[in-house]
Amino acid sequence: MKGYFGEFGGQYVPETLLPALEELDAAMGKAFDDKCFWDEFNSYMVNYVGRPTPLTHAKRLSDLLKLEVWLKREDLNHTGSHKINNAIGQILLARRMNKERIIAETGAGQHGVATATVCALFGMECHVYMGSTDMARQQVNVERMRLLGAEVIPVTSGSATLKDATSEAIRDWITNVDTTYYLIGSAIGPHPYPSLVRSFQEIIGREARHQIISMSGSLPDAVIACVGGGSNAIGIFSAFLNEDKVDLIGVEAYGRGNGRHGASINFGIPGVLHGTRSFLLQDKNGQVLETHSIAAGLDYPGVGPEHSHLAVTKKARYVLVNDEQTLAAFRLLNRLEGIAPALESAHAIGYLSQYCNGHEGNKVLVNLSGRGDKDIHTVIGSGS
Amino acid sequence: MITQAIIKRKKAVLPYVTAGVPSLDVTGEIIQALEEAGATAIEIGVPFSDPMADGPVLQKASYMALQAGFNTDDLLARLKGWSTSLHIPLIVMSYINPLMRKGLQRTLKSLHLSGVKGVIIPDLPRDAQEIYTDCREIGLDLIRLVAPTTSKERHSEILGQCSGFVYAVSIKGVTGQRNALPSELRAQVGMIRNFTDLPVCIGFGVSTASQVEELHSFADGVIVGSFLMDRIMNSQDPVRTAHESLRELLNDIQA
Repeated sequence: MKGYFGEFGGQYVPETLLPALEELDAAMGKAFDDKCFWDEFNSYMVNYVGRPTPLTHAKRLSDLLKLEVWLKREDLNHTGSHKINNAIGQILLARRMNKERIIAETGAGQHGVATATVCALFGMECHVYMGSTDMARQQVNVERMRLLGAEVIPVTSGSATLKDATSEAIRDWITNVDTTYYLIGSAIGPHPYPSLVRSFQEIIGREARHQIISMSGSLPDAVIACVGGGSNAIGIFSAFLNEDKVDLIGVEAYGRGNGRHGASINFGIPGVLHGTRSFLLQDKNGQVLETHSIAAGLDYPGVGPEHSHLAVTKKARYVLVNDEQTLAAFRLLNRLEGIAPALESAHAIGYLSQYCNGHEGNKVLVNLSGRGDKDIHTVIGSGS
Repeated sequence: MITQAIIKRKKAVLPYVTAGVPSLDVTGEIIQALEEAGATAIEIGVPFSDPMADGPVLQKASYMALQAGFNTDDLLARLKGWSTSLHIPLIVMSYINPLMRKGLQRTLKSLHLSGVKGVIIPDLPRDAQEIYTDCREIGLDLIRLVAPTTSKERHSEILGQCSGFVYAVSIKGVTGQRNALPSELRAQVGMIRNFTDLPVCIGFGVSTASQVEELHSFADGVIVGSFLMDRIMNSQDPVRTAHESLRELLNDIQA
């Protein structure tokens, strides 16, 4: 069915928003068929974002783990993460739709910064909803957004994290639906957002596939990416979905374990949140559970519907890395490769020390989705 | 039964109360008081952790109920008693996730067995044909919301899969009180009537007796939620407050 990935996805939204989703769907279809749109997108990717991002052979990490580790360097994008790919794509679409007011939600602040950046670039009004808990732990990004001219609106309801910021952005959209474009940051939400966001993130997979083949001579044995909503993961997976021999591995945030995590696919039950049906962390009454991850960008009880579909059809598998393992990975990558990964991306690095058991010598492609400058305080604050 | 109740009353008023605020015991007393105050039917709201179509008042109500330990099974256990003691229809309003948790069909059947007459689901999937058919077979009305932004084509689709009454959303926005309602409302109701003979009730933003009176001049009924819940949450005597607040809205209308 249109707008679904198997049994997941759909449009579970208040009636007020349906016409806006139809309008977006139509605009997306038209833009995607237009070569000029992609020419413009690619031109910004090259001349503004700094693409293609490098593929780095992590030699010392490889030696330590007895693996062949390749890092797709999305941390080197302008604004410091893969989020800018989607923000550029969607702002170009919003311009075509003649929307003048942009709203967004953000967790770690990376998507907020990316959105504030493209709004500054195109002279558009920008409002970013952010949970007050996240504002406290990602203060640098809050200041960056404000410098870029965005209004950052604290959200104090619920757990005051990404899920609540998303609900508040949707409420704003319902209220200002005529003038406002909702620039969603991950492959979540009602159709067409999961497909839209994926389309702009596929550039990661396209580049990485080409790079790893030309630099190492063949496809990787495994592709590893962290999964909160799952946009960086779907972006890199997309180029390998038809390769049966490539093990696609999404890493979910296992937080402090035992009910204090963000691992929707591993522990969730299909349900509806923010307009889409997907695996969802919920209690026996269908109330959405509070989540925890040291990485604000993974602190979300749902997951993009395409990942749920990939999980049940076994095209990808989803594993767990906890806060402690993530912090260790953060430190390890700093020491061995001179790279500070975002705590989100450090989950993907953290999985390597589990993966290396039994996969000696394997070639792995890891999506290093963002840089960790924003997380230095959290890491220092964690002691150890 | 819902349709009849609204048509019979002419100037219908449908209060909405969040279940479990401040407790399910008190909710039971509140709905009794609302019937006595002249309610035509009562909407029982199922609290949800992430009420994306609700403004601050109903968000707070959901939060309070959940903090107080609300759970769906307790509500289902109470509904039978409530529907038996009332002479007016009970309608359940819920986001879809709590209804889906133990299977949507199973939950809808339980609601029917508890004497509930209809359901309102603000985040139904775009294609709700199957859910509509299930509701009809089970014997529940599926009350659909129509928004100010709803297209003509969509009117025809929604209203072909609607029973009980049509819930006309008065504003582009979330639930909550507004000082002024849009002037296009009359035309919006007119548009709905082109597609259906079902009664049309207006909700979102209603909070004064004069608004109620104005809306009754072209709609069959008015739904009042945030106004009541705001009063109830700020009251030492929520049952009496509920009664008085509804009387206040009904003003000179004969109950």
